[in-house]
Parts: sequence; structure tokens; C-alpha cells
Amino acid sequence: MSQHTISEHGSTESYQLEQSRWAAGRNSLFFIALVSAVLCVFGYIQNPERFFRSYTVAFTYTTGIGLGAWFFIMAQHLSGSAASVTVRRIMENIMVTLPVGALLFLPLAFGLKDIYPWSHPDIAAASPEIRAKGPFLSETWFLIRTYGYFVLWSIWVFAIYHQSTKQDTTRSAKQMHVISRFSAPGLFLVVVVGTLAAYDWLMSIQPTWYSTIFGLYYLSGGALSFMAVTTLVALAFRRAGILKHAITKEHYHDLGKWLFALTAFYTYIAFAQYLLIWYANIPEETQFYRLRSQGGWFWLSLSMPVIRFIIPFFILLCRGAKRDLTVIGLIAGWSLIVEAVDLFWVVMPVHYPNGPQIHWLDFATLAFTLSVCGLMFWSRFRKHKMVPVGNLRFEQSLHFENA
Amino acid sequence: MAVPIDIDTLRDKLGIGDDKVYGAMGEFAEPEDLVKAGRKIREMGYTRIDAMSPFPVHGIDDAIGVPASKLGWIVIFFSLTGTAAALLLQWYAGAGPLNTFLLKFGLSGYPLTIGGKPFFDLSYSIPVDFELTILFTAFATFIGMFAINGLPRLYHPSMNYRNAHRATDDRFLLVIEADDPNFSPAKAADDLRSVGARDVEVVEG
Repeated sequence: MSQHTISEHGSTESYQLEQSRWAAGRNSLFFIALVSAVLCVFGYIQNPERFFRSYTVAFTYTTGIGLGAWFFIMAQHLSGSAASVTVRRIMENIMVTLPVGALLFLPLAFGLKDIYPWSHPDIAAASPEIRAKGPFLSETWFLIRTYGYFVLWSIWVFAIYHQSTKQDTTRSAKQMHVISRFSAPGLFLVVVVGTLAAYDWLMSIQPTWYSTIFGLYYLSGGALSFMAVTTLVALAFRRAGILKHAITKEHYHDLGKWLFALTAFYTYIAFAQYLLIWYANIPEETQFYRLRSQGGWFWLSLSMPVIRFIIPFFILLCRGAKRDLTVIGLIAGWSLIVEAVDLFWVVMPVHYPNGPQIHWLDFATLAFTLSVCGLMFWSRFRKHKMVPVGNLRFEQSLHFENA
Repeated sequence: MAVPIDIDTLRDKLGIGDDKVYGAMGEFAEPEDLVKAGRKIREMGYTRIDAMSPFPVHGIDDAIGVPASKLGWIVIFFSLTGTAAALLLQWYAGAGPLNTFLLKFGLSGYPLTIGGKPFFDLSYSIPVDFELTILFTAFATFIGMFAINGLPRLYHPSMNYRNAHRATDDRFLLVIEADDPNFSPAKAADDLRSVGARDVEVVEG
């Protein structure tokens, strides 16, 4: 709130993760990645079709988290946020997992036929809607676009990350200006290119369906799960006695407010999509909800407003809940689970119209993509500080208090 | 004919010359100093402390022990009332002449067929529910805040402090109010000076 605060304890801490702790974290993440990779290979041999479908959920889940992180870093640089500076490095390390998506996408490139109906020439030929989208929905263009997205995103992500870590030593305002200059067009890239990505990866699973808001649906869910991951990582550090003075109850209160706001934002987008489709009642649009109101999917669809909105929203409404670290942790965990359920609900009904079928590969693929991104996330802590000590608003953030 | 005037009764009625004291007041140049001084004053055992500043100072509520506002509870009550009102309104408007329950009370809605949609459905009622909830919430917050703060008011005893006007500009004021059980004018003024306040005065009420 004021620029004149002088640190009382901050300057004595090194904010560097101990090497032994870092190695322990890396080893456990590596172990999870290895075991889940073996399980994924085994699952692929046993049931390739199911592997690719589960993997779509897992891939879009972790990529959504990266996109959410990237969006937030840029929004906070543009708004000059001081409150979030002490959690900024955690957020930035989540952001650099976004380019990992380019690697994680590779297996999907071999399973397009099992995921996307438009990749079958006979299905495409039989449907005038798909034929009209012909040049857009072809395997070559699909892959070119996907890698185009990742190239664009990676440039921005690495540029921002490089500037931020450089500032740890330079402690100059120059880096903040450079990041701000990257951020404004970057926000455009998140929303516009992110929307295209959501159309490609998720919407085209049901290729005759249209919903222009669907990109935001995916991105808002990703932003919420990103905030939940940040909260859980910070809480885990706290439990291990790390960054206890840097990330205080006031910062958790702030993260709680974000969880609350993003829950409301996600609901707004999801409901806007539903209401307009319900009201206009056009077959190209209603098919999405029609498919999900049949068989076993009906009950899952009906429970979505409860699990995604009513439970987290009304719990987080109280100020006390947002300041209670246990409640915040539980809601963050809950948000991550329901986001996975949500993507499952988006991807699977086309393949399994009779009802939800949970498969062990759902968990194995998710563990794989999360742990691979986790390794990237964790590797950053080896060299870099755990907080952006060079950020000019760092001292201010240490003393941040909610009004 | 002369009316006997009891001068003491009159003085009591008008509050003249009874040396009513509002509290001891002092000023600070920086918001951080205000927060630190406020916390020290509270640690001395004072409970009736107030602060005035040109903008919201983070952490001051906690420092001087302002209790949590009751406004939230008032607001949630009116918010839910708004939601209920919106649902009731739409359900009633869509209730046709076949609604025997309403007809018992001589009431009938004004059902219209729009786009072949049902006369009442939760899906399309939600935008109206949302808007009315927001409307009630905004009114409850605004009016409730005024009522709890006793606004509007044209006079406040803190204005008798010589630097009162600077609380809207560049100074941060701290008050120990006279109704504090530990209050004695000279002691409170000294305590304020001891935590770094300047221009300390005992302000009349």
C-alpha cells in the first residue's frame, strides 16, 4: 500500500530452496512420472482407444493450468499488483510448464482417429457440416495449428520468465517494463489463441457442434485450477516450513478471493453458454447438451452446477473461510477435482454416449501429465529464488494486508 | 411576570459549560506510523480507539481492534430476499388461469408464450434472479452502511480538533475516545504523545 515500508525480517532470508529438499522433491516427482509412464504404455498396449481419450482429458487439464498461469502473470504485471508478488515465483514456475504441453501433445498426434470423428474420411464425407469445415479440420492443419499455438505461447512464456529471473539480480525496474510490454499483446494471445486451441482440442471432438464462448469456458476452468494449484503449492511449502514469512495469511486470503472470483466467473461463462443454447434451441447447438442429458450423463450434468458453483461459492462467501488455511486448501483441492470431472464431461460423452465409464487410465494419464509438468515446475527452484526478490514491489508485498 | 429560571437545569439541558470531552486526538504523517501507534495504544489497554485517514489504511482495523462489521449478515439476508422475490415474481407472472392455488386468492398471472418456452423455468429465470439479487445487495450494502455509520451527519466532535481538516488531505489522526473506561484527559494525551503523535489535543465534544 505504501512504498516506504522497510523490511524487518525479509532481508535476512535467502529464499533459496535447500538442495537436499529440492532433490527429494525431484525424486518423488520423477518416481510418479516413471510409474505413470509405464502404466500409460501398458494401458496403450491393452486399450489404445481408451488411452488416447483419457489422455485428451489429461493433456487439456495441465495445459489449461499453464494457460491460466500465463494469463495471471501478465494481468498482474499490467495492473501493477503488489499483493501477489511473494507468490509470483510459484505462479511463474507453473507458467513455464505451458511449453511442456508441446511434448505432452506428441502421443495425441498418433491417436487423432480415436478422438476426433472428423479425421475419419467416411464420417466427414457423410456430414455436410463437417465437409464445410473441411480445410480447417484436417489432420495436417490440426497439427500445424497446435504447434503454432505452442510456439507463440512459448516465446511469450520464456521471455517473461527470463526477464523475471533476471530481475532477481539486477533489481531494476527495466525488467518490469519489458514484461508489461509483452503482457498487453500476450493477453490477446491467451484469449484469442486459447479459444482456437479449445476449439481444436475439445470442441472438434463433437465436430458438428458450435459454441463461440467455448474457448472462455475452457480458459476460465484452467484459470481456476491454476489458482487452486498455486494455493496448494503454497500450503505445501508452509507445511514444510518454507516461505512462512513471505506468504502470510493475508496472501492466502487473497488467493481465496481469487478462487471465489474465478468460481463465479467460470459459472457465469458456463451458464451463459447453457442459457443461450437452451433458449435459441438450434440443433447444431443443442446437440452438446442433448448428448449430455442422456443415459448416465444426465445425473453428472445435473450435478455440475452443484459441484462447480454452489459448494465452492457459498463456502468461500464468508471472510472467515477465505482466511482459514484448511478451508482454502480443501476448496483448492475440490476445484482441481471438479475441473478434471468437467473436462471428462466435455470429452467423453461423444465416445461413450450411454454414460460415464471411469477407467484406471484416466488417473494414470492425469498423473503422468501432472508429474511431467511438475518436474518442469520443480526444476526451476533449483537455480532460482523461490520469490522474485528483485521485484520492486517485493517489500511491499511482504507487508501486504487486506483492508 | 418574571419566570423563575433554574440556571442549572438550563445548563444541563443545553450542555453548556459541562466540559464534555470527546477524546484525545493526535496526528501522524505516515499511515504506517498510524498503524504502529494504534497497536501500541491498544496494547496500553484502551478499547475505544478511532482513526481518521484520507484513504483506507490497510491493517488499521486489526491494529485498533475494530470489530468485524455486521454489514455482511444484513446484506446476505437482503440478497436472498432479492433472489426469492425474483423467483416469486416470475413464477407468479407465468402462472396461468389454471393455477387453482392462486385462483383461490383471486390472483392470476399473465402467462405469455415466448419462443415455445414453458411459462416458468429455472433456466431462463436465472438472469432475472441474478439481477434482482445484485440490486437488493447493492441497496442493502449502501443503505446498511449509512445506517450503521449513523450517516448522514453534519457534525462530528472530531471536527473541533485543530487539524481535523487534514484528515482529508495528508494527515492520519488517532483518537482515544472519552467513553473509554481507562480515559483521563491528561493521561490519554500523554499516551498519544508517547507513541509519536504530534499536535495532541484534548478535544471537546
